[in-house]
Amino acid sequence: MLSVKDLHARIGEKEILKGINLEVKAGEVHAIMGPNGSGKSTLASVLGGREDYEVTSGSAHFLGKDLLDLAPEERAAEGLFLAFQYPVEIPGVSTTNFMKSAINEIRKYRGQEAMDAVQFLKMFKEKMAYVNIDQSLLSRALNEGFSGGEKKRNEIFQMAVLEPKLAILDETDSGLDIDALRIVAEGVNKLKSPDNATIVVTHYQRLLDYIIPDFVHVLYNGKIVKSGTKDLALELEERGYDWIISALD
Amino acid sequence: MLHNDTKNTLINLSELSGASSESLANFMDKGFPTNKWEEWKYASLKSLNEVSLSWTPEPVSREVELPLFQQTLTIQTLNGQTSCLGDLPKGLSSMPLNQFLDQNAGFKALYDKRNPLLEQNSLYHLNDAFNQNPLVFCVEKDGALAASLVHQWVLEAHSGPTAIQGKIILYLEDGSSLTWIEQQSSLASEALLFSNYALEIWVGEQAHLTLYKDQDLGNGVTHIDHTFIYQAANSQVDLFTFSINGTFVRNNLHFYIEGPQVVSNLNGLYVPGEGQLIDNHSVVDHRMPHSESNELYKGVLLGNATGVFNGKIFVRKDAQKTNAFQSCKNVLASDRATMNTKPQLEIWADDVKCSHGTTTGQLSEEALFYMRSRGISADAARTLLLLAFVQQVIDKVQITSLRDHLSAKIISKIEQSWIA
Repeated sequence: MLSVKDLHARIGEKEILKGINLEVKAGEVHAIMGPNGSGKSTLASVLGGREDYEVTSGSAHFLGKDLLDLAPEERAAEGLFLAFQYPVEIPGVSTTNFMKSAINEIRKYRGQEAMDAVQFLKMFKEKMAYVNIDQSLLSRALNEGFSGGEKKRNEIFQMAVLEPKLAILDETDSGLDIDALRIVAEGVNKLKSPDNATIVVTHYQRLLDYIIPDFVHVLYNGKIVKSGTKDLALELEERGYDWIISALD
Repeated sequence: MLHNDTKNTLINLSELSGASSESLANFMDKGFPTNKWEEWKYASLKSLNEVSLSWTPEPVSREVELPLFQQTLTIQTLNGQTSCLGDLPKGLSSMPLNQFLDQNAGFKALYDKRNPLLEQNSLYHLNDAFNQNPLVFCVEKDGALAASLVHQWVLEAHSGPTAIQGKIILYLEDGSSLTWIEQQSSLASEALLFSNYALEIWVGEQAHLTLYKDQDLGNGVTHIDHTFIYQAANSQVDLFTFSINGTFVRNNLHFYIEGPQVVSNLNGLYVPGEGQLIDNHSVVDHRMPHSESNELYKGVLLGNATGVFNGKIFVRKDAQKTNAFQSCKNVLASDRATMNTKPQLEIWADDVKCSHGTTTGQLSEEALFYMRSRGISADAARTLLLLAFVQQVIDKVQITSLRDHLSAKIISKIEQSWIA
């Protein structure tokens, strides 16, 4: 589904990704871990299409398409979803209106007819029940004045509505208390299917207590330096990152 | 200096039409405003001094489409000629000013003591010179017109540069109410068109005026709009200026608060695009105590548009306990657009609450990326953010059909600006 080969990227003069290789198949959950400044969020941003980063070499293919060639909105329409570490406040636009625009823009891209108000409302209600989110949150301006937990819950709701093939959760656990964390993880697990895949980017192991990864990768200094199963995450929790780093040096 | 042809034409014309020689002299002395005038720094009409304008426009050649705002009456001013399409509803009267002054002593007293601020306002003098006897529309005492009146100010230049002037007076007697929808438009033409329009309004005690301006003027039109409102005690005015199109639009909006417990609400929304300049100059003159003014202007500047906002608030010595608020917020939707803002508060009373704030910014790149990451194209995301920004003003329009009409025009203008 996702195939990243020798990906290099920089911001300004500073090279951050120094040759990432990653293969993600349908049905898999991958965790990308690493110390601060290792390039985790950059990887998520580059895959999502943030324009601040310049890809200098390497490739990324998503469902056979050259991901790096697509605008962020085209990536979304192809089935990529990036859950933000810090979801952005959109003043004056309600979640409902926002998602209606998103759904219909994506449908337009895929050559489908726009969803009418009735269909949309029905689908919306189903998804609300599915991720257990309150109507009152959806009629407010998106993320404006939301608590950290509300913002993340809203991200998961958007993910449920858009039904991505590949979801990248960028430090979704940051700033969440344990209850919020559990709710977010439950949402992600519910949405998991043999047809889609998830990449969880996280600094801490605790999210992985709830979202069980099939593969764990350690990112350090712009490269994946170690890959393993969920046991690797547990080992990291216990021993920290230093043993891996010192083995490299 | 004013073009010699223009001078000669105006002198000849004034002799024929009984113009006010004082007002005309006042204009001729100064000519069209240039950017050397402080009040016209960003919106110069210097070039009009060098143009030979025709001052006697031919009639408008086509039928003008009537809007459907459930109005009780439509009034049209076509190339400066005003007429009513249908009978006046009960409670509304209309006659030329001179006749009205003879018949209505109450109004005469108000009219005679009018004292507008006319500094650097040569174009008001020019309008006044040739509009000595304009039509007055009067809403009778305690009369409420159930529906609204529409006034269409329609312009058409036939050949060569054309000047069109006109004026209307509204008088709301004590306790009356009126909704006045003003549509300003022009028929397609390549020729330069100079439009100089005045609307002077006296709002009696306990009277309530709601005034909507829908300015949608074509390429080549320079439109000067003088709206002077005199408010008596306990009256309320809700005013909206929607400036959607026009090569050069200058609004001189004056509120004179002449009694206590007055409420004045000024709302503005402007969306100038490529090659357009929209300039809102407002004056709120608190002359009496215990009154309140609220000013909310929002601007979206597209393409290489220029916007100007100058908001003056005067609180005179006698106007204690005044509450005056002003806010002007702008988004530059293109890096070629310019906005010039200048709030100006002059306060002589010591027990007042006044505040003002102006902001000019750009759309947040973070917000745009967030929206795009959900599948919304960059253009659609920008449109959505801009509409959310202007919604606050649009939502205040009480007439649904008018709100939809304005909203649709603004959406289409914003969307088209991405294509260009």
